[in-house]
Amino acid sequence: MHQIPRRIFIGSSLALAAATGARPSRAAGTTDLIVGVPTNLTGLDPADVNDTLSQSACRLMMQGLYGFDKDMNLIPVLAESYTANDTATEFTFKLRTGISFHDGAPFDAAAVKANFDRVTNPANHLKRTSLFAMIDHTDVVDPTTVRFVLKSPFGAFVPTIAHPSGMQLSPKAIQQYGRDISRNPVGTGPFKFVSWSADTLRVTKNDKYWKPNLPQLASVTFRSVPENGARLAMLQAGEAQFIYPMPPEMIKAVEHNANITINNAPSIYERYVAMNVMKHPYGDLRVRQALNYAVDKAAFAKVVWSGYEDPADSPIPPHLAFHVAQQPWPYDPAKAKQLLSQAGLGDGFDTEIWANTTTIALRAMQFLQQQLGAVGVRVKVTALEAGLLDSKIWSVQKPADSALQLYTGAWSSSTGDADWGLRPLFWTQAGPPKLYNVGYYSNKDVDADLEGALATADPKKRAALYADAQKRLWDDAPWIFLGVDRNLSAQSKKLTGLHMIPDGGLLIEEAALTA
Amino acid sequence: MLGYFLRRLAGTIPVLIAVSILVFGFVRLLPGDPARLVAGPDASEADVQAVRQDLGLDRPIYWQYAHYVGEIFQGNLGRSSRTRLPVSYEIGQRFMPTLWLTLAAMGWAILAGMGIGVLSGVRRGRWEDQGGMVVAVSGLSFPPFWLGLLLIDLFSVRLGWFPTGGYESPASIVLPSFTLGLAVAAVLARFTRSAFVEVASEDYVRTARAKGLPERRVIWTHTLRNALIPVITMTGLQFGFLLGGAVVVETVFAWPGLGRLLVDSISYRDYPVIQAEILLFSLEFILINLAVDLLYAVVNPEIRLR
Amino acid sequence: MSASTVVAARIDSPLAEFWRRFRRKHVALAAGFVLLLIILAAIAAPLIAPYDPSTPDYDNVLSPPTLAHLFGTDSYGRDILSRVIWGGRISLSVGFISVIVGGVVGVALGLLSGFFGGWVDSLIMRGADVLFAFPGLLLALAVVAVLGPGISNVIWATAVFGVPAFARLVRGDTLALKQAVYVQAARSIGVSRLKLVSVHILPGTMPGVIVNASLRLGNNILTAASLSFLGLGAQPPSPEWGAMLADGRSYLGVADWLTLFPGLAIFVVVLAFNVLGDGLRDALSQKLR
Repeated sequence: MHQIPRRIFIGSSLALAAATGARPSRAAGTTDLIVGVPTNLTGLDPADVNDTLSQSACRLMMQGLYGFDKDMNLIPVLAESYTANDTATEFTFKLRTGISFHDGAPFDAAAVKANFDRVTNPANHLKRTSLFAMIDHTDVVDPTTVRFVLKSPFGAFVPTIAHPSGMQLSPKAIQQYGRDISRNPVGTGPFKFVSWSADTLRVTKNDKYWKPNLPQLASVTFRSVPENGARLAMLQAGEAQFIYPMPPEMIKAVEHNANITINNAPSIYERYVAMNVMKHPYGDLRVRQALNYAVDKAAFAKVVWSGYEDPADSPIPPHLAFHVAQQPWPYDPAKAKQLLSQAGLGDGFDTEIWANTTTIALRAMQFLQQQLGAVGVRVKVTALEAGLLDSKIWSVQKPADSALQLYTGAWSSSTGDADWGLRPLFWTQAGPPKLYNVGYYSNKDVDADLEGALATADPKKRAALYADAQKRLWDDAPWIFLGVDRNLSAQSKKLTGLHMIPDGGLLIEEAALTA
Repeated sequence: MLGYFLRRLAGTIPVLIAVSILVFGFVRLLPGDPARLVAGPDASEADVQAVRQDLGLDRPIYWQYAHYVGEIFQGNLGRSSRTRLPVSYEIGQRFMPTLWLTLAAMGWAILAGMGIGVLSGVRRGRWEDQGGMVVAVSGLSFPPFWLGLLLIDLFSVRLGWFPTGGYESPASIVLPSFTLGLAVAAVLARFTRSAFVEVASEDYVRTARAKGLPERRVIWTHTLRNALIPVITMTGLQFGFLLGGAVVVETVFAWPGLGRLLVDSISYRDYPVIQAEILLFSLEFILINLAVDLLYAVVNPEIRLR
Repeated sequence: MSASTVVAARIDSPLAEFWRRFRRKHVALAAGFVLLLIILAAIAAPLIAPYDPSTPDYDNVLSPPTLAHLFGTDSYGRDILSRVIWGGRISLSVGFISVIVGGVVGVALGLLSGFFGGWVDSLIMRGADVLFAFPGLLLALAVVAVLGPGISNVIWATAVFGVPAFARLVRGDTLALKQAVYVQAARSIGVSRLKLVSVHILPGTMPGVIVNASLRLGNNILTAASLSFLGLGAQPPSPEWGAMLADGRSYLGVADWLTLFPGLAIFVVVLAFNVLGDGLRDALSQKLR
């Protein structure tokens, strides 16, 4: 299943708006959807939440100027189109007309300005301020046109606007609730907020929604159920119609259930092992290559994910913009041993791997310990609790103080763009505590590619630069490239139109329940 | 008695102050930066710094403590680092579910546990005794999440008698309170039986029997009072533990309780929530222990509490 | 007890008396025997385990119980029977050491508190109250977060949270025993306080302590399992039973043997400790009359 090339619609996309309206209508939905989710929400203010689940909840009620469709293609939502200047320092958006927020306030350029002024103002202490830090100021050109002036060129601006944190809140509500808007959200979306208590969110149909014949559902409830087995039981007992994540090990248990469908979709989470190049012997390219040859990626998928994991073919996953597939690293333990001998490590060496304490992390580390052990690399496994992991890896102030040797985890670019999939991980200036280059990898050519691709809005130029960066990174192997996760969820056969997008978010706007 | 009671109540204040200082220091000893944990998995340094300022963690430690104590005196427990919602709101949402679960579990435990304990104690040495204790203690020996998942599979998925979890309807308390209550029942059964057996051969019981008093009266009047001491102790302890929330049961049954809140808060180093919850638990235990000590005196006036 | 038995108790050694009583409790004897077997098996793990507990076998992943693998294999193809046997070593050590450490400290504090009363009592009990405020599992979690993961830190953490319960229990018993006739009698004839506590009161608290200790043993094994369950206890690929349950719970409904055998192992060991403790209590208390 392969990537549909992302298209940025420059120019009018009225055709898309028309297509949405032309969907066949069903009998008015009087049905209620219950979704089983793994954790509690942390808030409903899009500018202040950073977990995918809370963002999905926000998507029920709020929308941004642009957004993503179910394949992570950029689509206009509250805006119709945009134009940018040549240097990618000014972006002008034409807004849709006739839309209002749930509390009656009109959606217009002034509302957009109010939202972006709010999120870019450090005095508001919102978690997502720095995501929009490139914005110098926002201008209301006329009630349906808004212009963003940036401090410096930023080619990835529209995907950033499409990020869930760019969703629009009613300015009236912002005034009214201040900080507490997190539990009183008001947007333009298909559903209106009803209540949020501890682990249950309830929203109800927005009768005045601006897209005709939507939504089909009467209400949606998110219930958080942390235990995988219990969440699956909810689905089996008919208490929920959609649950995620679906643990791959349990798929066999429901394969033959006639009422349940398993959804197996690609994600944009790339799984990796970062090697700290400042620690012996990871500075030696041959060692890094050897480790890539030493790990059987197919076995990794089978053992750790019960088969539900795709091989990685680039430092970024296929559904990110500007992805280019590279030559896979084959499983060749003999070659690995040979390379290690050439590097003077014929007797192997001792090392340590860190990760958090989730089941997947524990399994991955055990698997890697065994695989690397087979070529003479003796790995000690240490699972660290979140806070401890933070203090030992991401909060470390100076590279020399880092005790990290190997780290395994996953990364997803929440903007769907190659920039955020590469720069925080491989840019020389991205070492902790600033960003996430935990291996302190540094490569001038890669830096030049990444910086250059940010400085232009021209997709062709960006594509060329990112293609070069990916090739260099793949060959230089600062990571063991383990694989790309699948998004696994399970649902009742009666449910249609609910989509999980590759970044793990949920699109529920078009969902419907058949009798 | 009244004097003792008032003195004990007054004595809670230094304890609470001690706890507040201890927990304040304790959470800051835990490695890990709350600002970064709250800012999220792909936050930039600027984001983290913004969060740190918002949480007041960039201020010197004495400022933080003064701020914390000052807020408590105003009845304000602060805001959760993670959700920025008032801590009193977060705890308030979960207090009643935890209380209901505790009461229901204690209900099962007292009925089943003390029931088996009395039966075993009275029929000491016979098969009811040995069998009863094995049954009781089995309940304690199961890993709770395993039992919980099995119960959900049987009663919710297959039979459809009870919901799989959550806090929606009165029926949803049955399975979690049963799972929780089983473990407590075993403890109570043990202590009840132990107490009965202990005391059954005391002098005054033999004397009463020798005087020809009916067996039943002997048991219920003479044995019971002293038998109750360790049973009361244990019941109080268990009640206190349960009020602290039962993390595993809450997790398996998706019960919105204080236990889960505390575990999540520890993971995220959500200082205000951790501090407030531990103060709350401390207060609960103090009150329960006070009640237990008073019950000692009521049950056996010979015990002099100084 | 008849007069002749009282006379006999004074002549027989307490140990013989204890054994005579204990022998009669068949269920407890059986439990003791089972535990002895388990302990021997744990000690003899290298000799009796059919496979190495850590070696994966990717061709035999998730195999149900067969003759080659009596308990089946896990998601790495590792033999579960061998892992359960090796895991017994870990679980049993954790249980014993943590209870002994916690118990010794707790009993001492409880005796002091109950016997002396006054400010000593207040101090110790307030200390216990403070420690109680930190619910057991959470305290263990926090201790492990500070000290780092690993099974030895789990032992300290579980030992610590057992102390207040022992202290409170022993204090209660001490308060009651202080009023007992024989204690008052000993006091009146001028027995020293140390002797009073150690010879006259301490044995009286023993039944409660033993009951609590045997429950604690099981409880501590369960707590250690919970911590491993949360990824904070034994580190992979350690076959600690809780860690096995943690990984196996993803396979409930698909490969139940992954949780069944470690779960049963925990259940049997904890049950055996409880039943044994019960029998010991009975036998000991007879001796003390």
